[in-house]
Amino acid sequence: MNIPARPKIAAVATTFFKYSHAQHIVDRFLDGYGWNGVHHRPAMDLVSLYVDQVDPKTDLSRERAARHPQMKLFPTIAEALTLGGNRLAVDGVVLIGEHGKYARNEKGQTKYPRWEFFEQIVDVFRKSGRSVPVFNDKHLSWNWEWARKMYDTSRELGFAFMAGSSLPVTWRTPSVEMALGSRVREAMCVCYGGVDSYDFHGLETIQCITERRRGGETGVKWIQAYRGPAFWNALRDGVWPRELMESALCRSHTLTPARPGFNDVFPTVDDMQRLVKDPVAYRYEHADGTKCTMLLMSGLLRDFNFAAQVDGQRKPWSTQMYLPMPDGRTTLASFFSPLVYNAEKMFLTGKPTYPVERTLLTTGLTAAGVESLYRKGEKLDTPHLAIRYQPTQESTFERS
Amino acid sequence: MLTRRTFLQSAAATGVAFAQRSEPKRLAIITTVYRYLSHGQHMGDRWLTGYPFEGAWHKPNAKVVSLYVDQTPENDLSRDRAREFGFQIYPTVAETLRCGGDKLAVDAVLIIGEHGDYPRNEKGQILYPRYELFDQCVKVFEKDGRAVPVFNDKHLSYSFVKAKSMVDASRRLHFPMLAGSSLPVTWRLPAFDLPPGCHIEEALMVGEGGSDPMDFHALEAMQCMIERRGHGETGVKAVQLIEGDAVWKAGEEGKYSKELLASALSRSDTPLGLSFDDSRPQDMVRDGVLPQLVPNPAAYFIEYRDGLKATLLMLNGALRDFNFAARVRGVKAPQSLQFLLTPEPNVTYSACLMHKVEEMFESRKAPYPVERTLLTSGILESCLTSKVQGHARLETPHLNVAYNAPATSQYPQA
Repeated sequence: MNIPARPKIAAVATTFFKYSHAQHIVDRFLDGYGWNGVHHRPAMDLVSLYVDQVDPKTDLSRERAARHPQMKLFPTIAEALTLGGNRLAVDGVVLIGEHGKYARNEKGQTKYPRWEFFEQIVDVFRKSGRSVPVFNDKHLSWNWEWARKMYDTSRELGFAFMAGSSLPVTWRTPSVEMALGSRVREAMCVCYGGVDSYDFHGLETIQCITERRRGGETGVKWIQAYRGPAFWNALRDGVWPRELMESALCRSHTLTPARPGFNDVFPTVDDMQRLVKDPVAYRYEHADGTKCTMLLMSGLLRDFNFAAQVDGQRKPWSTQMYLPMPDGRTTLASFFSPLVYNAEKMFLTGKPTYPVERTLLTTGLTAAGVESLYRKGEKLDTPHLAIRYQPTQESTFERS
Repeated sequence: MLTRRTFLQSAAATGVAFAQRSEPKRLAIITTVYRYLSHGQHMGDRWLTGYPFEGAWHKPNAKVVSLYVDQTPENDLSRDRAREFGFQIYPTVAETLRCGGDKLAVDAVLIIGEHGDYPRNEKGQILYPRYELFDQCVKVFEKDGRAVPVFNDKHLSYSFVKAKSMVDASRRLHFPMLAGSSLPVTWRLPAFDLPPGCHIEEALMVGEGGSDPMDFHALEAMQCMIERRGHGETGVKAVQLIEGDAVWKAGEEGKYSKELLASALSRSDTPLGLSFDDSRPQDMVRDGVLPQLVPNPAAYFIEYRDGLKATLLMLNGALRDFNFAARVRGVKAPQSLQFLLTPEPNVTYSACLMHKVEEMFESRKAPYPVERTLLTSGILESCLTSKVQGHARLETPHLNVAYNAPATSQYPQA
């Protein structure tokens, strides 16, 4: 594959407003960002942008295009990739299918058109007889079959494909990595947010650590979701290890004070039940027996915390995947910086910096978790998630 | 039957149990005010309710037995705490340390002289009575013939003379003493320390907030990085504080490195201006936006006795976090990081600080030298003197404070 010294990149987005994923990602290509102690400017040009939904009141894409004339707005995905010609004219594609007004289905999944956009992208690849690397923000598709097709198509056409959340690549407090080959028995993420949204981030948080366990990833056998009273019963019955949950909570910087007049106290289960109106758990088991639990506890905390039981370690191994969130705390969602940096590396080398199979699996887990919730907490076998892969030797979270 | 063997076994077992569960330390808290989110409350509470530490909820092996609180506004929480956690509030520092008896009756003292309603002097320093509270502790120690470890939150005193006498008293009476800000012990982004003995060519810190609370934090953060240089800290020769457009002019003239400023700002998650408006990242130095964003910048120039030049820029309006950058000989790129001030109300960084205090109470050894805070207290006072003396450069022969950095890094790594 021929990679020019200064690749041309196309961005394909659902919508572009302040704090949207498209804004965070595209702005980093256009304006640069703080990285490794300098204001880093990507060694590539974002030359075209397609935006599916433009709300004149909130849209920023036109301001960006006016200020960065090298970036042209195109009315179709095909034109964004061909720069208005009839053949693929860019060296990489960023697909950002997050935010925007898209229908929800009966299971509560927002039907973001990631697969539909992807199909239009690969249509240009096929017609041009040439494929270029694609970075897909967040999960692949809300629909497992389509997600699987995206993965299979990338293999069929042989282009580099990366996807996922910023959680695996952001800062950690403390800044630690699971040793490769560790025997991880149980892993957990305690986080916040909604179903078919932040659950995916929680699953990516778990997966980026557990994939480093002995033998690598073996896929997932079954999943079961808990919500509302079933969640509290499961917690009290010890369905997931209380010790891990407490360890993860002790990594939080944002525990809601359970008592008035106190700023940082550890909540009792009764406190949690009072503070968390709509708790959700996904519990699942990998083919090699490692069990994982993702807990959404909005109302109790506003960060992503991980804990694991590792053989030979007396105490849980735990850390926080730190998101400097622009919800009043910051002005920049700097966790997009390592995400964009990894995408840049792929565009410059033609090689993904971490395996897309991670996100294929977490995409399937998200959909399966939603399905189990839809079926009132039914335990579901997941033979389609027999996804095996090996982690990268090198850690890819932000450390410098 | 008690054989020699079973005796040894049981003695060993008792020994283990003893090592794990020694008698809780009896702790006195001396504070200016105990209201929600005052330092007195969020640091004091750590000893009552425990705190998060290394992935567990840690309960210090200590019992707060007495409290002195200088001011009790309507929203005072100290009386509720005393009732709930079973300690006494005494009307004087001496009684607090003696728990109402006639001899020192505590194992450690926490002095938290931050917040509360106290006047400011002409330099803008808030006259918190830290020295005065500390001095009353020292008088008890002297009179009762025993001294215990003392933690003093933030700078030692607004006055270097008073600060120095505090450190001198701890030396004279041989009690361990720790002081300062949480910034040196909070998380770092990225998590690193400068290598011990490195040659720092220039250092720069960017902070924000009012004087003299927040500039002190910024000075401590910078000091904990640069004290690791060369053969250790040797003190400060001169300082100067300038304000307004002179700060930008000084940058143009190379009085501080704009490359280091850009590096420090590259670590910020809170640039204001256009980033506040629409969240775009900014190259603030190259784009030249700082003068529009910061109506009243201040530069604190610090000339160290070994030749190092360090600058603190307080840039209210440009950002809301604390970032450091240094040029280290032999390393091409600037070394920079953010000191992470975790969000309110939890302010988990204060748990990091209280753990260091606990380490000192347990081991009777300060994990890092109080001289750091003696020096930063003095730097701050002299800078604020420069400010009211026409921004003059002031020689600071009294700041010949020498010490060595701690052998191990003190920020959270596990």
